[in-house]
Amino acid sequence: MDDFIYFFTFQDPSVAWVVIGITLLGIGSAYVGTFSFLDKKALLGDAISHAVLPGICMGFILAGEKNPIYIVTGAFLSGAFATFLSSWLKKNTKLSEDSIIATILSVFFGVGIVMLTALQKSGNPEIAGLNSFIFGNAIGISESDLLIYGGLSLTIILVLTLLLKEFRLMVFDPSFGKAIGFPIESIRFLFNVLMILAVVIGIQAIGVVLMAALLITPGAAARFWTDRLNPLLILAALFSVISGILGTYISFVLPQMPTGPWVVVFLSLIALISFLISPKSGIIFRFLSRKKYLRKTHRDHLLKALYKALEEGRKSMTIEEIYELYPYQKKEINQSIIDLQKSKYIVQSQNSISLQEPGVSEAMRIVRLHRLWELYLNESLKIAPDHVHESAEQMEHLLTPELEALLEKRLNFPSLDPHQETIPREKNDLR
Amino acid sequence: MITQVENPVLEIHDLTVSYDQTPVLWNVDFSLPAGKLIGILGPNGAGKSTLIKAIMGLISPTSGYVKIFDKPLNDVRARISYVPQRESVDWNFPASVLDVVLMGTYGKLGLFKRPGKKEKDLALECLEQVGMSGFVKRQISELSGGQQQRVFIARALAQQADLYLMDEPFAGVDMATETAIFQLLRDMAASGKTVLVVHHDIHSAMNFFDWVIMLNLHLVASGPKELVMTEDLLRKTYGGKLNLLTKVTDLISKKEFNPLKS
Repeated sequence: MDDFIYFFTFQDPSVAWVVIGITLLGIGSAYVGTFSFLDKKALLGDAISHAVLPGICMGFILAGEKNPIYIVTGAFLSGAFATFLSSWLKKNTKLSEDSIIATILSVFFGVGIVMLTALQKSGNPEIAGLNSFIFGNAIGISESDLLIYGGLSLTIILVLTLLLKEFRLMVFDPSFGKAIGFPIESIRFLFNVLMILAVVIGIQAIGVVLMAALLITPGAAARFWTDRLNPLLILAALFSVISGILGTYISFVLPQMPTGPWVVVFLSLIALISFLISPKSGIIFRFLSRKKYLRKTHRDHLLKALYKALEEGRKSMTIEEIYELYPYQKKEINQSIIDLQKSKYIVQSQNSISLQEPGVSEAMRIVRLHRLWELYLNESLKIAPDHVHESAEQMEHLLTPELEALLEKRLNFPSLDPHQETIPREKNDLR
Repeated sequence: MITQVENPVLEIHDLTVSYDQTPVLWNVDFSLPAGKLIGILGPNGAGKSTLIKAIMGLISPTSGYVKIFDKPLNDVRARISYVPQRESVDWNFPASVLDVVLMGTYGKLGLFKRPGKKEKDLALECLEQVGMSGFVKRQISELSGGQQQRVFIARALAQQADLYLMDEPFAGVDMATETAIFQLLRDMAASGKTVLVVHHDIHSAMNFFDWVIMLNLHLVASGPKELVMTEDLLRKTYGGKLNLLTKVTDLISKKEFNPLKS
């Protein structure tokens, strides 16, 4: 707990610096990553992030120490080379895009690991810090590193904000963009540069292996919550920053813990929660709204049964009669009775149930929709009268008042359905 | 049967276009008058969309050139509007109807500038013209095919161009949308705009267009509807494969290099 307060009150300036750094990094990578996710180029980010490892080692060899400028430059160049190679191969061979990306990812990463192992054998005392580039260590970032990584993040954020409209066009409709004279090729080139930079800024804090997750997961998780681009970008950035800070906190409390995997754990958690509970697309929401709908259909069925009894001249039904009508649905029927009593549609006296004033109207509406739909199927779609009941059983719960009015007009306010039963309206009341 | 015109809006000179190295259009050469509703007809794979893309500079021709308003394309882009095929974009992209229509104003805005109130008013006006005022804030994935097409046409209107190139605007749309779009295109032509439409239904083409271009790998006909919609020319356009041309195409695509490229 003390650690928690110490960390989140930012008393320690070095903690504050790291948090600022990880925040900028999170916003920058989520920003770029969301665009590449929308552009369906998620795999390219993964390939680039693995492909920067040889560059990092090269930078270290040339500088002879962990010099951030050498390492960032090396990482950028090797990422750029991998990107260029993948588009060159795509243009000049018949290989599919996924095989090209898989090949580039493994070849570059393999070379990187070979170089890293060779360096470790060389006995250079500076080498210890190099390992953190694999899985990341946010706490190990020095202030001079932070200036470089933070500065690059800011550049990414600024460029993307300035060219938001252009990138939107590049992803949504590039040929229209070309047609109105926008330099779409150059915009795409610039985007690739930003993508590589977004990977490079994450190598120290998150590590090359998992950087792709920080690019893609925030956008993918945020997509569950919104259908608009600007809120999507903001939400993705927020998710990314939250997981970044939490991951850094874990590395701070448990110094042996690499940051990258923990950031990914928190990000995945956010993505999972979004998948479960987001409105419209979340599965829990869908489950609940289906359940609510089923409950309504059971209520409708009970009202219908009572109304049909009314048509036969019986003012009420016993609970046993209702159970018999819908076998195996005892539990649902009991629930419906409770619900309908609450809304004053029915009353129960001892064992018999009868419709109340508002309940009759509602029951008439359901039966009316059922019979109107049967008539519509029979008259307009020429479906035989003995084939229309099933569909009407579903549509009676769905049809809106607008559609009801349309049906009435289309069928010219009919009085009988295909089975010669009366279509009930308020004026020919049975009460 | 190719009718050339004086002072053409669009002039295409000996245009040959290839994909990779397979020629899909051979020596197309025609010119078009202003203020007409023009249909491009031809069977599947005749090169109709390719012709439009070549005019817009989206594919570079193997040989030949295009002149619009007597100038090269790049000088007059602001006066041309292009409507791609509806299926060419991902309608799940997070955007509202208004966002898409606003893209029509990007060309005049240029790089960096964001659309403001003036652009927004224009976009709303264009949505009104295509009968989509009630859908301004709607997410584009929730639209029907016909509504998506109307949004694309509203975006084209927002470009305020003089020449419109539309790739299959009637594909997969309902009857009501077809009639509404057609009426809109008529009005545009009546007010002096030139509207070029890729179309595949011969029957409706009879009523729709003033001027018809018939394509089948090469140009079969280009001229006023009354002159070119003849049984003979229709048979030439739609009647079976052009054996010789397809054989030559096969020969060229089997070569290790593109012999047509100079």
